[in-house]
Amino acid sequence: MTTAPFGAQDRLAFLLSLVPYLLDRGTVAVTEAAAHFGVDEDEVRSAIRLIAVSGIPGETDSYGPDDLFDIDWDALEIDDRIELTHAVAIDDSPRFSAREAAALLAGLQYLSALPENHGSESIATLSRKLATGASSTPSPVAVATRAASEALGPIRRGLTERRQVEFDYRDARGAVEHRIVDPLRIDSEDQSWYLRAWDHSRDAVRTFRVDRMDSVSVSDRPSLGDGSDIRLPDSLFQGTPDDLTVVLCATPSALPLLGDFVPDGSRPGKSMDGMVRVSVRVGHFHALKRAVCGLPALVTVESPEEAREAVAGWAEQGLAQYSDGGRG
Amino acid sequence: MAEAVPAEERLFSLVLALVASEYGLTKAEILSSVQGYRQRYRRGQDNATLERQFERDKDDVRDLGVPLETIESPTEPGNNQLLRYRIAKGAYDLPADVQFSSSEMTLLGLAAEVWREGSLSNESRRAILKLRSLGVDVDDSTIGYAPRIRVREPAFDTLSDAINRRVAVRFDYLKPGAEGSSRRFVEPRALVKHESRWHLVGLDRDRRASRTFLLSRIVGDVTKTRTVFEAPDGDPAREALAELERVFAAHPVEIDVVRGSDAERRLETRVIGDGLESAAGRPTGAGPRRLRIGSTDLELLADEIASYGPEARVVSPARLRAAVIDRLTRVLADHRGPVRQGGDS
Repeated sequence: MTTAPFGAQDRLAFLLSLVPYLLDRGTVAVTEAAAHFGVDEDEVRSAIRLIAVSGIPGETDSYGPDDLFDIDWDALEIDDRIELTHAVAIDDSPRFSAREAAALLAGLQYLSALPENHGSESIATLSRKLATGASSTPSPVAVATRAASEALGPIRRGLTERRQVEFDYRDARGAVEHRIVDPLRIDSEDQSWYLRAWDHSRDAVRTFRVDRMDSVSVSDRPSLGDGSDIRLPDSLFQGTPDDLTVVLCATPSALPLLGDFVPDGSRPGKSMDGMVRVSVRVGHFHALKRAVCGLPALVTVESPEEAREAVAGWAEQGLAQYSDGGRG
Repeated sequence: MAEAVPAEERLFSLVLALVASEYGLTKAEILSSVQGYRQRYRRGQDNATLERQFERDKDDVRDLGVPLETIESPTEPGNNQLLRYRIAKGAYDLPADVQFSSSEMTLLGLAAEVWREGSLSNESRRAILKLRSLGVDVDDSTIGYAPRIRVREPAFDTLSDAINRRVAVRFDYLKPGAEGSSRRFVEPRALVKHESRWHLVGLDRDRRASRTFLLSRIVGDVTKTRTVFEAPDGDPAREALAELERVFAAHPVEIDVVRGSDAERRLETRVIGDGLESAAGRPTGAGPRRLRIGSTDLELLADEIASYGPEARVVSPARLRAAVIDRLTRVLADHRGPVRQGGDS
């Protein structure tokens, strides 16, 4: 997961969190504290050095030794271990802010769509605890969810028990094929769920839409690898070398709507008419024609001719359903 | 200038000083004694820059959920020089009964991970730091899950900030079917995601009525104003979702879909009323399957149905049917025949 670097507020949150953790632990290795908080070891070392010289202004408006935190400096310098030997002012974990609580609450709301959390009491209990632990009413952010596909159940079991999973998969062309895969990761984007898996018939990592699967079952066969040797990129769909290049003409506001077709960070050129032209690589035209038909007047395929025809044909077949007087 | 105290050291020292002080500190006491301010404080002189720094720091500290309070002087209320600042330890500490088990911690970690873009990803990262301070280890039961809620709309962060600070906002809004966008003046109340789309619910001050806006239809930047409003009663996010659900159920749409198609799989999750069928109980049979689904926005639904091409056919309402036909006709015209020349390509 990519995260932005720590700003001053993040550092303050870390300092306020590190103190109660250290008081609770007694003594802890820098490596362990870094792993526990999910931050760099250097971030931990610089935080502990700052804590060690911080404190409260004393009677004479200066900071006396008893007014400061203290640490075992030898332990830090020699053994790379932390031990707070004196603490001032704070000793407990801080409360959540309204927005921090809201972020977790809405996240939990979203996760309640998963089959294993469906109707789960623990989510409700957790939500109440989060609200209690916030220093003011959690911010009004909410996410509506509908139960995610039951197929996630067996997929999840295959993933945790490291077993192969089988299913009938209807690909973007509409062809149904039986697939046997080693599940690697379950991804989602809002209400769409995906499985990334090692596909045995393709000998490659593939991304599957869970709602295109049927008859999902966990096999008795173990997954061949544990997946640790495969690095999964953040974006769900990757181009392959034999992909086709398609040139799209789009209004700038429509670019985000093209999602994974347009890789993050690509900077398309703007033309005189305010439209942008962007080259995208696709394995076939099936997903593209759907996306373009859903963005009428906002996105047009310029080339190649085959891609234009694929889009035109899809729209034409759609229109043909209404020929019984739908027109006009 | 000799001073090189990092911002986090100044903020940390401020929190410590205000927690430790039972009766609070005045601004002059803070600026003259607290690490990071005192180095720049000039006794008996103008400290306007430092005072502005303190104002910003107060906001930063409060943003983190630290309850920094202001206490008026009992003898001279209204005298800003005598205002005292304090952090009550009882209001700062996470209540003792708020504890989390290892599995709860794991679930919360996953809940935080759904935010990978926008300001909520920073908020959830800080929330996780605070949770980790409790020292509970997480188990690995959610390994292999990478769920995500998309926040693509650039307006989200400003609106979320405006809701938090309770200030009204202005933005240009493109209403479907309207010729151009119109300027709106809104008290933002809640941000809710419904059917994968972010909505803002707020009080439209010019129309004096509650309105729901799609974030994707906000044109250009959202501007925060100086107009502050009172916190609304109740739970605005929950009420907003309930209202969207009501609208959804009140606007049924009938669609014939090809069995086994993407259109069927994506639309069947929105079936309302008697047509409620689980995926397992999907009826079999020849010919298309008729779905009765809910809808909140016919224009966006028309876009979606157009994308299904021959997989979905609108039966009713007539307006949606016409909208889909319009779209498909437009796409066909744009893609058959010579490329429309409009630029420098």
